[in-house]
Amino acid sequence: MGGPVRENLPETDLIREAQAGSRTAFDALVRQYDQAVLRLAMHLTGSEQDAQDIQQEAFLKAYRYLGNFRFECSFYTWIYRIVTNLCLDHLRRRKARREDQAVMIDSSGEEMDLMTNVSDDRSGANPARELDRKFLGQRILMALDELTPRERMVFELKHYQGLRLRTIGEMLHTTEETAKNTLFRATKKLRVKLAELR
Amino acid sequence: MNCEVAQEIIVLAVYGELPDDRAHQLEQHLTQCERCRQEMEAVAGLQKAMSVLPVIEPSPSLVARTRLRLDEALDTMPHGGFLIRRWQSFQRGFGRMASAPVMAAFLLLIGLGAGGWAGYRAGAHQATAQLVAATPAAPASIPVMADLDAAQIAGVSSITLEPNTENVEVRFSRVVPETAFGTLDDPQIRQLLLLGARNHDDSTVHMDSVDLLAQECRNGHQCAGGPIRNALMVALRYDKNAKVRSKALDGLEPYVAIDTRVRDAVLEALLKDPDPEVRTQAIALLAPVEADSSVQDVLQTVASQDQNPHIRNVSRQFLEQVSQIQ
Repeated sequence: MGGPVRENLPETDLIREAQAGSRTAFDALVRQYDQAVLRLAMHLTGSEQDAQDIQQEAFLKAYRYLGNFRFECSFYTWIYRIVTNLCLDHLRRRKARREDQAVMIDSSGEEMDLMTNVSDDRSGANPARELDRKFLGQRILMALDELTPRERMVFELKHYQGLRLRTIGEMLHTTEETAKNTLFRATKKLRVKLAELR
Repeated sequence: MNCEVAQEIIVLAVYGELPDDRAHQLEQHLTQCERCRQEMEAVAGLQKAMSVLPVIEPSPSLVARTRLRLDEALDTMPHGGFLIRRWQSFQRGFGRMASAPVMAAFLLLIGLGAGGWAGYRAGAHQATAQLVAATPAAPASIPVMADLDAAQIAGVSSITLEPNTENVEVRFSRVVPETAFGTLDDPQIRQLLLLGARNHDDSTVHMDSVDLLAQECRNGHQCAGGPIRNALMVALRYDKNAKVRSKALDGLEPYVAIDTRVRDAVLEALLKDPDPEVRTQAIALLAPVEADSSVQDVLQTVASQDQNPHIRNVSRQFLEQVSQIQ
């Protein structure tokens, strides 16, 4: 379906061609965003498998409902809106199951030590400092899991993904002011939780 | 700025979300407030601590696997049929309209205005066309009948009278030749006969028409003051065919005594008609109005001056009869 599409076409053209039924154009859009989507989902879920599931479901939804995209916001915001909704659902389900995980699970189901993925430059190759850093990482994960899904999402998008609060508000279908208040609450809770865990 | 406000916006300042003016006000406040300065350091410390938890970039193999899996899923999922795409297209269009009500209202007004203007122009054009079509086909002497518009008739091609009846068949043309059948008293037939009387291209049609109209008048069938009498007077004055003029004269006979216009037409024929038989016929028609001084003047002129001896003789005899009666 659809003819050859130049991947350097403006995004708007790619979207229009994909809306007209071009699978090639849609694939080009996927290539532009799939890594960022995967990174966000991995960090939020702590699981490569869950991240893959979320990424796939997000782009399948985008493919199915691309015709409803009306260019009222950027495609970036639109696709992130889908992803954040799926992540929020995932966080809510996980919270309901009380299967809080402070460790990351890789795609083979094995536990994955987040700290091992960090360059040890910061620890100065000092085993004692490395241990402290790992311990702090565990505590941070536990504190993050104490946040509500929405607080976790706002903090994730602001702190780890570096998005503007206005953009976060658009993605979460809320106002910038509400996003600010949510960030304020999240930081207060994190400070309390991290202090308790000291 | 008080401490309550400052502590609410410290987190925004740490994450770079504070406008410059607010950031300056906060900075001024922090120079004077130890408690808020400590709050600022705590939030900045949290930000630094939270950064210990890394954001892991997905490995190339994970990205490749994920793309492959997505491709397979997309291959099995139809991207909507034609109807779904059309429906989505309609929704997009509707959404654009809904998001631009002013434009929609503007387009509606434009449409109504254009429609009204086009309707007005079409109506005006039609009225003009009707006027143009009706004007040459409806002279004052020939009224247009409701069910047979003279403008629609291109010409009369033949006239046939059924023997021993008043039924007549008139062939005439509109866009294609048509045939009408009816009695001489039928308004439509009379209308066609009047048109035939004006047809100088076909002498047979012309003569037959005048003959039948004249017969109608002689028989007293609805000729009083109507278009048929006018048509006969026109034929008497201007027709080049003497037989036609004679027939017209014959049809006007009943009206010489009651219609001065007919009388004048007959006197004119007596003085000017080139055909002696028509002039002689005209003299005979004047008998009912022999007492009319204008009639006697014309007869005396003709009796004394006319170049045709027969006409002079007939006129003289006519005047002698009148004087004997008087």
